[in-house]
Amino acid sequence: MTLKLREVVVRRGAFRLAADLEVAADGVTVVFGPSGSGKSSLLSAIAGLYRLEVGSIALNARVLEDAGAKVRVPTHERGIGLVFQDARLFPHLTVRGNLDYAEHRRPAARNAPIVMEIARRLEFEDLLDRPVRNLSGGERSRVALARAIVSAPELLLLDEPFAALDGRRRRDFLALLRELSNEQSLPMVVVTHNIDDAAELANDVIAMRDGRVIAYGAAADVMSRPAFASLLDRRDLGARVPAEAVAGGAVAGVWVRADSVLLASERPRGISARHVWEGRVDSIIREDARGVLVSLVTEAGYILSRITPQALADLQVEQGKQAWAVVKAHAL
Amino acid sequence: MVRAMLTPEELQILSTSLGVAGRAVLFSLPVAIAFAWALSRPRFPGKSVIDTIAHLPLVLPPVLVGYLLLLGLGAQSPLGAWLKSAFGIQLAFTAEGAAIATAVMAFPLMVRAIRLSFEATDPGLFEAASVLRAGPWDRFWSMTLPLAWPGVLAGAVTAFAAGLGEFGAVITFASNVEGETQTLPLAINAALNTPGRDDVAFRLALISLTAAITGLVLAEMLQRWARRRLEA
Repeated sequence: MTLKLREVVVRRGAFRLAADLEVAADGVTVVFGPSGSGKSSLLSAIAGLYRLEVGSIALNARVLEDAGAKVRVPTHERGIGLVFQDARLFPHLTVRGNLDYAEHRRPAARNAPIVMEIARRLEFEDLLDRPVRNLSGGERSRVALARAIVSAPELLLLDEPFAALDGRRRRDFLALLRELSNEQSLPMVVVTHNIDDAAELANDVIAMRDGRVIAYGAAADVMSRPAFASLLDRRDLGARVPAEAVAGGAVAGVWVRADSVLLASERPRGISARHVWEGRVDSIIREDARGVLVSLVTEAGYILSRITPQALADLQVEQGKQAWAVVKAHAL
Repeated sequence: MVRAMLTPEELQILSTSLGVAGRAVLFSLPVAIAFAWALSRPRFPGKSVIDTIAHLPLVLPPVLVGYLLLLGLGAQSPLGAWLKSAFGIQLAFTAEGAAIATAVMAFPLMVRAIRLSFEATDPGLFEAASVLRAGPWDRFWSMTLPLAWPGVLAGAVTAFAAGLGEFGAVITFASNVEGETQTLPLAINAALNTPGRDDVAFRLALISLTAAITGLVLAEMLQRWARRRLEA
């Protein structure tokens, strides 16, 4: 599946979104950036909720909108699903009624899981006959996702769908999202400003700032670029480790924060930490009087560790020298 | 119970009133929904014209509305003559005419209640419906109306209660014909103008008051229900 955005410009009041990219939307593509960077506007433009001022959008060979040629396929004919951040369940219907709404409007030719099946997978079978106003935030998120899946779109857009979920539930939900994308061969474009979610979900990443796309490509590549690091808070700086390296198959990767990585100049022994990766020091960046960022190239990929200038001197860390990165399992 | 408390004459008047007000609501509801829907849309050319038309009966003297209806639909008017010759329908001086006059007068009330109800629905829900493949008509029937319908009902009940009391337009267009167009206010007026019928007028006034209060309470209950429904 290819989603082409050609010189797209969308204007909302003082905000301007500009995008020009060709997304090979397979699996899960994450749109990452700080709030106000235009992530949600990008989804709204793709779904046809915002009108293009300039440019065109095409899904595979089908032109959805072309501002120059005055072509505009309305939202309901695009076959693109959208899960809103605030769920937007229909208040006059029950949970089942919300799912049926999607099922009744699905083209006969498109296969999708039946309502009961998806309710079971998302663990809300017992809520089916409830009015939606009695649901908790997390329940709403799950019903909204189920409703979108039942509608069997060609492409599913999700706008911060985990905002109402916490901890354990959140990670289960992320894993399930990847599973569903796989099983249903349903490409997903997921907006998030949470770096952990981004690393866990993404096959590919679209990085955004100030209404512009600053990087697009495979997660492993984009998330290791300096431009990507510029989108992060100081305490979120770190590196993406592929899931295989930490034996967490259900997700795509894990974000390892520089603050949670210990550095050792000799192979550590008799230590409780579950992950010890051998590598070579790639670069040393002095941030300020309190911190130094040391990047290692290890067997698990590129790892970032923040240590104090004092530790740097004690360990005699130098570029090209051998070192070990140590991470507690609970930090992942 | 009502039957036991009222005289046959009063029952006749009450049933004429209920019939006229009921038909008035029936006639104006679809038009009111259309107007209310249009007025709840963002700006479009002609919106202020529609707005003015919808509110006109509120500021015109009721007698003038009745007179305009006579001019437009009376037996002497081209439209009235055509209705008579083509369908045998006569509106002036009939219960149907009384209902039309009442419908026109209650129209602004109804449009207002329905419009508020349309405007209170979250536009985000319509976006959510459209990403589930619901087109504009589909959204109107599956979202707009069901979400607003307690408000629509409240508007209809308010209009019904107000319709029971419409005087000026009815008497001008439909006149005071006993058993046909003599509604509660017309009967009260007739009784007051007849010496020795003060007690009749008083009893009719009580009936009228009871009907009006019942209507208002019912409308208020529906409004409250409507708000609760949308608060999900």
